[in-house]
Amino acid sequence: MSKQSSIAKRDKTILLILLGVFSIGQLFPLVWLVDFSLCKSGDVYGANILKIPSPPQYINYIVAWRDGKIPQYFINSVIVNFVSVFLVVLFSLMMGYAFVRMNWKWSNRVLTYVLLGLMIPIHATLLPNFVIFRQLNILDSYFALIIPYVAFSLPQAVFLMTGFIGSIPRALEESAIIDGCGIFRILFQIILPLSKPALVTVTVTTFLNTWNEFIMAATYLTSDRFRTLPFSVYNFAGQYASNYAVQFAVMTIVALPSLIVYIALNEQVTKGVTLGAVKG
Amino acid sequence: MQKVLSDKKTILLLVLPGLLIYTFAILFPIILSIYLGMTDWSGIGKPNFIGLENFKKIIFSDTTFWKSLRNAIFLALAYVFVQHPIALIFAIMIDKIGGKPEKVFRTIFFIPCVIPVVVTSRMWVSLYDPQYGLINKILDFLHLGFLKQQWLGDMKTALISVIIICMWQGFGWALLIYYAGLKGIPEELYEAARIDGATGFKLYTKITVPLLKPVIKVNFTIAIIYALKQMETVYLTTNGGPGDASQFLANYLYIRAFNSYQYGYANAISVLFVIACLAVNIFFQKIFKSENYEF
Repeated sequence: MSKQSSIAKRDKTILLILLGVFSIGQLFPLVWLVDFSLCKSGDVYGANILKIPSPPQYINYIVAWRDGKIPQYFINSVIVNFVSVFLVVLFSLMMGYAFVRMNWKWSNRVLTYVLLGLMIPIHATLLPNFVIFRQLNILDSYFALIIPYVAFSLPQAVFLMTGFIGSIPRALEESAIIDGCGIFRILFQIILPLSKPALVTVTVTTFLNTWNEFIMAATYLTSDRFRTLPFSVYNFAGQYASNYAVQFAVMTIVALPSLIVYIALNEQVTKGVTLGAVKG
Repeated sequence: MQKVLSDKKTILLLVLPGLLIYTFAILFPIILSIYLGMTDWSGIGKPNFIGLENFKKIIFSDTTFWKSLRNAIFLALAYVFVQHPIALIFAIMIDKIGGKPEKVFRTIFFIPCVIPVVVTSRMWVSLYDPQYGLINKILDFLHLGFLKQQWLGDMKTALISVIIICMWQGFGWALLIYYAGLKGIPEELYEAARIDGATGFKLYTKITVPLLKPVIKVNFTIAIIYALKQMETVYLTTNGGPGDASQFLANYLYIRAFNSYQYGYANAISVLFVIACLAVNIFFQKIFKSENYEF
């Protein structure tokens, strides 16, 4: 608090203006995009940097929604992401507990092995996984995305969970064990509720990563059936190459879910990013 | 108590599902990649074992491979010397301002980082468009029309244009990490320095920056690894072109595999790519080992 009182009102105004101007600059491309998504397609060729759409062409959004197959891709994205996030949360909770609280000889070595995943770039597995998935006949299915999404989210999630579980006092578990509780009841009735802040962070960061993921989806999905939301944008670039307004509308629609999740849960995202960065 | 916590069956049940999926999708593929890298496989038919032939060819005569690495180094330098100083200054400003604006600005600056890369990349393709793009329009508006370019399509400007997209998108990341670091510096240290007569700029050069050193190093490491791993933005904007002017490793191996059907060769690049990432990671962890990070 002393920080606030230590700066003068005049300095504060200068800071506000500087930050304001720069943040407008940083967001301006997005404003431009949304602006022209509401104009007629040809308007973008005019000399104006921004243009007041008169009247706003909501029809662009209707076309984008329909021809971008938004409902179909959205449902695919929801299925892939919910399953992935659920599995990451469950597995990282279980693994975190086993690494931190349970006694076994290989605990540290296995943990190191999992955290090694933080250093491995996903792109290095694109080619071999394509071959493996093709051999197993799971290319072009939800599995082709869920498996790598879970695998690549686990190292980060396990890292966060081991740190968090380690900070929970042991007293509750000890008395539960004396009362005859098994590990699974301890895990789901004591540790799970106590770990809620860490689990929310894991959920949000995993969600944002997998929801926005494109390159694996582009590699492992060959037909339209299982494609996820980013494909709406990708398909449109070819199909509607000259209809910019509709292209911009589809981009706006696809950006919205992540934006809403981020604004609603921005404390958790911030925490996830900064915690993850330590080991990045 | 000990018995419950040492039960081997339970431990296996807790660890195995995650461990299997991780091994299956990360470790096993990389081992397979090492093998495929030693073949001349095209993706169909039988792989033909050729030993280290691919690796030799890549290291000694593949100019695009080296160009990709060089581009990654340019991107890393841009992160470290352009993006980071600005991010740090803005992190300090946000931290200083306090109250509600602090939260609002922190949120705003991170927005580009949460928007799907497909959207930001396509958006920048439009921004750079020579006919209707915002960039050329702004140049016209500022009477700098002579600077107008075919940004992404020109050999001379393609790489720098891609680097600008990357810096724009990642700015919030760098800022947030510095911001978190600033929050970890105890206010008493500033008080003490003020009592000793330090003011304004001196407070930052003598206290903020030195105490932020561990965070700066972490942020540098992340930036360099990010530069090395760059793929999505390039894939969706220039696809490495024109020629190999804006090529990056991950995108290059992808092209070799799926556009030229040189699956074995691409896997060899992939292996070198993993080695480069691991080496950078280990190198930075070694030289920063003595520091302890606090957040």
